[in-house]
Amino acid sequence: MVNHNADALGIIFPNSYDNLVPELVSERLMASIPFASRYRMVDFILSSMANCGIDNISIIVRKNYHSLMDHLGSGREWDLVRKNGGLNIVPPFAEKTVKVYNGRVEALASILDFLKSQKEKYVVMTDANIAVNFDFKSLIAAHMESQADVTIVYTESEIPKGVRDKETVTGDLYYTFNIEDGQVKEIYINSKEKGIQNLSMNIYIMERAFLIDQIEKAFVKGQVYFERDILAPQLDKLNVRGYKYEGYMALICDMRGYFEENMKLLEDENLDALFEGNPIYTKIRDDNPTRYINGSRAKNIMAADGCVIEGDVENSILFRGVKIGKGAKVRNSVLMQGTVVEENATVESIITDKNVTITKGKEVKGTDIFPVYIAKHQVV
Amino acid sequence: MAKEMVAMLLAGGQGSRLYALTQKLAKPAVPFGGKYRIIDFPLSNCVNSGIDTVGILTQYQPLVLNEYIGNGQPWDLDRLYGGVHVLPPYQQAEGSDWYKGTANAIYQNISFIERYDPQYVIILSGDQICKQDYSDFLRFHKEKEAEFSVAVMEVPWDEASRFGLMVADDNDRITEFQEKPKNPKSNLASMGIYIFNWDILKKYLIEDEADPNSQNDFGNNIIPNLLRDGRKMYAYHFDGYWKDVGTISSLWEANMEVLDPEHSGIDIFDENWKIYSRNSGMTGHKISGDAVVENSMITDGCRVKGNVKHSILFAGVKVDPGAEVEDAVVMGGTHIKAGAVVKHCIVAENVVIGENAVVGAMPGEGESGVATIGAGIVIGDNAKIGPKAMVRENVKDGEEQW
Repeated sequence: MVNHNADALGIIFPNSYDNLVPELVSERLMASIPFASRYRMVDFILSSMANCGIDNISIIVRKNYHSLMDHLGSGREWDLVRKNGGLNIVPPFAEKTVKVYNGRVEALASILDFLKSQKEKYVVMTDANIAVNFDFKSLIAAHMESQADVTIVYTESEIPKGVRDKETVTGDLYYTFNIEDGQVKEIYINSKEKGIQNLSMNIYIMERAFLIDQIEKAFVKGQVYFERDILAPQLDKLNVRGYKYEGYMALICDMRGYFEENMKLLEDENLDALFEGNPIYTKIRDDNPTRYINGSRAKNIMAADGCVIEGDVENSILFRGVKIGKGAKVRNSVLMQGTVVEENATVESIITDKNVTITKGKEVKGTDIFPVYIAKHQVV
Repeated sequence: MAKEMVAMLLAGGQGSRLYALTQKLAKPAVPFGGKYRIIDFPLSNCVNSGIDTVGILTQYQPLVLNEYIGNGQPWDLDRLYGGVHVLPPYQQAEGSDWYKGTANAIYQNISFIERYDPQYVIILSGDQICKQDYSDFLRFHKEKEAEFSVAVMEVPWDEASRFGLMVADDNDRITEFQEKPKNPKSNLASMGIYIFNWDILKKYLIEDEADPNSQNDFGNNIIPNLLRDGRKMYAYHFDGYWKDVGTISSLWEANMEVLDPEHSGIDIFDENWKIYSRNSGMTGHKISGDAVVENSMITDGCRVKGNVKHSILFAGVKVDPGAEVEDAVVMGGTHIKAGAVVKHCIVAENVVIGENAVVGAMPGEGESGVATIGAGIVIGDNAKIGPKAMVRENVKDGEEQW
């Protein structure tokens, strides 16, 4: 049989690390945070999966998922409208045994019946806090070749300040590894180590049957976290391997990191590294092209379609449908969809959420290290 | 269930006066306005007017157009019953024919229309840039209890003889039709958009087909026959923006008018009458630190490092440092290399313009040439393309074409 599809189904946890950016997720979740002028975080993993032939994808939502449902629709933009498989959004309370889940074990326990009825041999699991153009085909091939029980994707980098410096960690844990010859020897939870670590990207692949078995066992014991409760205690028994990712990625850890990761895309090499692999799909809005009206000035910006620019913009990221009025000045800012900066207003080092309006002549300034955030629908 | 009105969109024209731009694609598929193709306008008008069944009659170079239309989803025309259908000529038991004329194209698809049992059929043209509410046109047609209505525009009297003209009485009833007359009796030019009662249209299509001397054309045959028989024919006045973009200069002009919606009347920025298109799916465009962008329209995927003035860049256009682009229409995927000067011209898709090459020039007093470069052409470094050139083949480094 001719088959372009991967023999793996995808599972995405869209709420992971919500707690790191409480402002951004007050009316949404991690997966639907806008990023890179016209995308949402989930677009990257979802497109990567779709591009690699993973076309049976479940998104296990936890809360605040209205914006995600709106964004994903039927999954058509990612070519995930399928009779077999396709995009499957799993709301909480899908099973009466499970309320709103805390860790992956509970989340996966809620879809056990679904998992059992599928036919793919492997399962790929990820979060949605990473913008990455990921080659799942290579991961699947490496996993098959190594015959590991579980393969985990990691990157060699410092633990982002946003997570490391949190005094108390609530909710999501993060993981670093001790790896020898590709073998994960130890899993560290919420390590405070400085310097380069083997930081988990929380992208996993394993056989579906293995996952079902492990989740069934863990769930009856009341265990919560896949990494802490299933993998870490069994490292001597299981063959858990690390798969090093060396490409470009943007990890969202805190507001400042969010700002910086957007700004980094103003460098061509970063933008190319993120987008030049396979296409990243997103919801279509049918905007007109962006219009630069006489008297406008734009330097070092990235802008999506649908903007109207009459003012002066520098070092900024403009999402779809942003309007910059005459005489307005925008510097070092990330302006999300539908932001309006009216005539002669000045903004510097700010992040505006969707549909914010900065009224005539107003001045709003953050600083380089601490950008001011303005919440959705606010009028300043 | 019957459809009240079905649209038939004539998209078979070769568009020979667009020369290099229509070598490999039909005129309705020619890109327009940054991210659209000409056909997006009638299709979007249909959807925005509530028409959900559209037949697109294709004949010339249909490949790009077929792929572009696909299942019609970008225009919300992927319907279970109705939706958009591409209708090329086909073989029949008693032989096959190309579409011999506009009327014959509809005649050959009578069975398509009958499937929907419509009361009215609107005939649209795939080579015009126009935002029009066809439901208002239909309301007029019903109010007048017409059997045939045609949308007309008032044109200046001194230009009237270039058009097909409708002579109408005070009640908008058409009394005479003049095709490009020397002495115009009217300045009401036909826009080539008609509403017919389906029973009437069908009757006249069958009669017309039976006439061996007919050119099977709406303007030359069907409309004169309706007049001859004293049918109830009315002229619907349209006063919005309308432009036939059948020539290089009119296509260039219409694109430039998009840049000035406040004066030109073509406003593609209108949220209430969106023009839909198949999107490129590229990332946001980038304006680099030393770029200058003035009074222009820039689409997703562009990378601008040079100077762009009063121009339209379609998706994925690259303008390298030191390049100058002015009064230009630059279609998707084109790469303008460092130091190139591109002015007052149309550059089709996926063209490469070499370093320091010169394409076109700002016209002097009384001049009007628009240099045109066909799709996929490579213009070598330091090459020079004159302001009236029509480039269909690659131009080597340092060579000139006028």
